[in-house]
Amino acid sequence: MNESQENFEALRQLLALKRHEVPPHGYFNDFSGQVIARIRAGGASPEAASRERLFDQVPWLLRILQIIEGKPVFVGSFATALCVLLLGGVVYSEYSEGSAGEPMTHMAQMINMAAPLAAASPMLPTATPAGAGLTTNFNPNLQPVASLFGEQSALAQPVSISIPGN
Amino acid sequence: MTMIMAEPAARQEVDPAPAPVDEDVLVRQARHGDLEAYDELVRRYQERIYATVYHMTSNHEDANDLAQESFIKAFEALKTFKGGSSFYTWLYRIAVNKTINFLKQRKNRVHLSLNDLDFNAEHDPDLVALISDKTPRRDAGLAELQEKLNTALLKLSEPHRLVVVLHDVQGLSHDEIAKIMNCNIGTVRSRLFYARQQLQGYLSDYLKTA
Repeated sequence: MNESQENFEALRQLLALKRHEVPPHGYFNDFSGQVIARIRAGGASPEAASRERLFDQVPWLLRILQIIEGKPVFVGSFATALCVLLLGGVVYSEYSEGSAGEPMTHMAQMINMAAPLAAASPMLPTATPAGAGLTTNFNPNLQPVASLFGEQSALAQPVSISIPGN
Repeated sequence: MTMIMAEPAARQEVDPAPAPVDEDVLVRQARHGDLEAYDELVRRYQERIYATVYHMTSNHEDANDLAQESFIKAFEALKTFKGGSSFYTWLYRIAVNKTINFLKQRKNRVHLSLNDLDFNAEHDPDLVALISDKTPRRDAGLAELQEKLNTALLKLSEPHRLVVVLHDVQGLSHDEIAKIMNCNIGTVRSRLFYARQQLQGYLSDYLKTA
């Protein structure tokens, strides 16, 4: 204990060195003048003032920034995990689109699912009662249609869809 | 005639300097926007506020900015000062909070920009004794010692560093520190003890008895 006290005394003597650290000569002559000038000019520097105001209004933002600055490894790994998740999602969605068979099968399935609704609606085109399933009749005579943008290559192809009745 | 001429001279001898204006009066005047009164308040505390911020940051430029901004913020917040504590304690609290917030944002970007040691440092009897008698590295110059000391202080957490700076460097009492840090005296004492232990470990090369 005595040794510890003695060491603390030595430490206090060493810390006394800090009292001899002084700013440049004449530094305080103009200090108050600068403070008053800044008050007259409108307070703290605009950047610092706006930052401080933001942190006062949104204190959790400061905490988040502190966490980000304080734990860079954690934040980096979290961001990496997020990127991997995003990339995985993109790759998976492309894979599932590519491996799900022909697009028409998908469309047929969707139309089959919508068939009962279509039959109930009087506004839909004529349904063929004898038809079993879906038929899509493509007209081979493609008719050029004037495009809104004046493109001659735009072609429209009327499609008739026969949906079996109930 | 002689009497009239002699009277001001005699008064000058008796009362050479104007009596300092009471702090409460200055605060009241500053609260009403009197910048001359506030200028007087700034002059009274500028050295202590600057020193506290400087010893916390170990950087002159940062200390300059933070000390100025502390005084500006105090002026803007004077309307909220209710006088529950002294103006000095209240001002200190503003400066300390500002400095701690700054240090939290500045973490991991430490850059020492130390002030020069004054002439008295070489003749400080405590330091002379410490360097010549007790320190194994007797060739350690004051500048090297200063840098080691500041580096060690920066390794402490902000509350621990603050307690050491306020008590061991600036000589404030436990009670004053407790008011500034808004905690009880027991907390101040325990932080001081822990901080000294930590510093002792960091500076062991310079504190071992020969």
